Amino acid sequence: MRDFLDLNWIGLYNVAKVMRVYGTRQSIWEVGVLSMNFRRSVILTLAATACLLLTSSVGFASLGGTVKLGWIGSLTGDQAVWGQCELNTVKMLAEEINAAGGLLGAKIQVIGYDTRGDAMEAVNAVRRLTSQDKVVTIIGPNTSGHAIPISSVLEEMKVPDIATVATNPKVTVVDGKVKPFNFRVCFIDPYQGAVAAGYAYDVLKFRKAAVLYDVADDYSQGLTEFFISTFTQKGGQIVAKEAFKFGDSDFRPQLSKIKAANPEVIFMPYFFKEVALSANQARELGIKATLMGGDGWPSEVLIEMAADAVNGSYVVNHLDFDDPDVADFKARYTKKYGLAVELNGFLAHDAFLVFVDAVKRANSFNPVAIRDAIETTKIKGITGNINIDKNTHNPEGKDAAIIKIVNGNYVFQQKYSPK
Amino acid sequence: MAQLIQQLINGVSIGSVYALMAVGYSLVYSIMNFSNFAHGGVIMVGSYLGFYLLKAAKLPFPTALAGAALGAALLAVIVERIAYRPLRTRSAPFLYFIISAMGASMFIENFVVATIGPTFKTYPAVFSRMPFEIGPLYVGRIDVLIFVTAAVCLIGLVYFIDRTKLGKAVQATSFNQRAASLMGVNTGLVVTLVFAIGGLLAGVAGVLFGMKYTVYPQMGGITIKSFIAAVFGGLGSLPGAVIGSLLLGVIETMVSGYFSSNYRDLISFTLLIAVLVFRPIGLMGKVTEEKA
Repeated sequence: MRDFLDLNWIGLYNVAKVMRVYGTRQSIWEVGVLSMNFRRSVILTLAATACLLLTSSVGFASLGGTVKLGWIGSLTGDQAVWGQCELNTVKMLAEEINAAGGLLGAKIQVIGYDTRGDAMEAVNAVRRLTSQDKVVTIIGPNTSGHAIPISSVLEEMKVPDIATVATNPKVTVVDGKVKPFNFRVCFIDPYQGAVAAGYAYDVLKFRKAAVLYDVADDYSQGLTEFFISTFTQKGGQIVAKEAFKFGDSDFRPQLSKIKAANPEVIFMPYFFKEVALSANQARELGIKATLMGGDGWPSEVLIEMAADAVNGSYVVNHLDFDDPDVADFKARYTKKYGLAVELNGFLAHDAFLVFVDAVKRANSFNPVAIRDAIETTKIKGITGNINIDKNTHNPEGKDAAIIKIVNGNYVFQQKYSPK
Repeated sequence: MAQLIQQLINGVSIGSVYALMAVGYSLVYSIMNFSNFAHGGVIMVGSYLGFYLLKAAKLPFPTALAGAALGAALLAVIVERIAYRPLRTRSAPFLYFIISAMGASMFIENFVVATIGPTFKTYPAVFSRMPFEIGPLYVGRIDVLIFVTAAVCLIGLVYFIDRTKLGKAVQATSFNQRAASLMGVNTGLVVTLVFAIGGLLAGVAGVLFGMKYTVYPQMGGITIKSFIAAVFGGLGSLPGAVIGSLLLGVIETMVSGYFSSNYRDLISFTLLIAVLVFRPIGLMGKVTEEKA
């Protein structure tokens, strides 16, 4: 009975806190618009409080001699597969370093929060990590839509963030100005869209392309924009450009329209669940064009759902899964978790390397000192050389890997960068 | 021309999915005069049941479909017993039913997230993905199955309501629950029966939807569309629910196909509001005093 009462009090306290955040940071109008999300977050806070209550005693007991590393990402929803893999990776690497004596003599404690696929939750999670947990650096999130809005909190609290697979330019640079506390270890959308367009035009010799994209998603729009500009600059023709909205599961109206335009290649810059559904439906409508996609594709789930439909498709990816450089990490991960590594794991691995390298060079756990050190990162990660550019906070000069799906396998074609 | 017919086929196939779900809504509404928002949760559980019966128990498809339908029916009856009956016996105001329904729906969704997990699942391939080719037209096998199932379920239901004694009792209860109970109709039993039938249909809809797309805890959300289709056709009217669903499917497809997919929901919902403004009871709705 006592426990139950305690839980309620802490729950109410958190509700009050959430209300304060919403009340001060947003206009009344926005609160009205977001009221569904708000109600949701109240419930989530109550649920999270229950979890915290169970774990908090452990967390506070080991305060001395530890350094806290934050992680955020989706542990629920469509992208949970990736988020879980990232968190597993970061935890595994932290354990390995701790077993070998720690980082500058301190043990790394990883604190991960679920963003629930919601940008508002991502901001709340960063606030919690920086003000309550006092982490020195945050790794994640994996999507641009969540990495963009968190920068104001990062700058207020002066804690650096290293995004894993957030490829939209605005994650690190807005209006030509670099955001001081946002970094990433992946290449950016323009590059990915341009790689796909360049490869389709120059190597595969396609001249007529169609694009199907998610109008409600920054990532999908970014890739689409740069695919179209590169493809048309080279002299190709975009015969159809169709949109859908996240949450849709039927794409046949759009695909029927694309079919009538008769493209040689269809660019599908969105995530694997929608890719699987739309690829299946395209084949059901008798569309035989080659399909191409970005780094939202690679997943075992895609093969499970749509092996035949995506056979012969091309994917632009951050790395080659069969690269000898990643073999050792893959083996360690699979041994520990009994699962295959998803793409995000490799990038989370390199984000972790960047963090460790920066702490060592800064010789400090001060978040601002770590930030300064990250700016001059020059390391060899398992996904390639990571040379962070001071002016963009992006790793410059990373090659992309072109991968073809052949009979349910991701087969590496070549390293490619568009001319 | 071929593209127009293809888009019509696409629209009818999307509409059939809405129809299977909308009929369950309408049926419960016609008796209870409130919108059973837990219906989406029941559909989702039916879909998961079908998934496990096919994948883990490796049952043949018809058996799995029947199993999922029965399981969903059982769940719908349990929801009625726990969430609605106590309110009904106390003649609670209409609003309380809606709140209770939302609570049940959230409970079911979060229960599945907590026990089964939040990620989506993929049905094993029961039918070939190869479509039927009729000249330049392509019709998916699952779409044909959904359309036929929706038609069979609806005809069966209409037969049951119009031609059987129990069906007459359902009708009587929907006209006036108090009077029906004075005439010797066991209205408690009728309500249970209606929820069971709604659950059966939900289970079938869940399995078909899961086969066509995927299974995930939030899939009940798509029932918003079918609820709207039911309102569009006239809540409480079964043919209305079906026609409203098919129309909504076709309108959506035509808007995406010939105008812009960005405007799909905008235009179809504007149309919905227009229908409600000029004909508040929906296309074929029954006239009642209280409206959802």
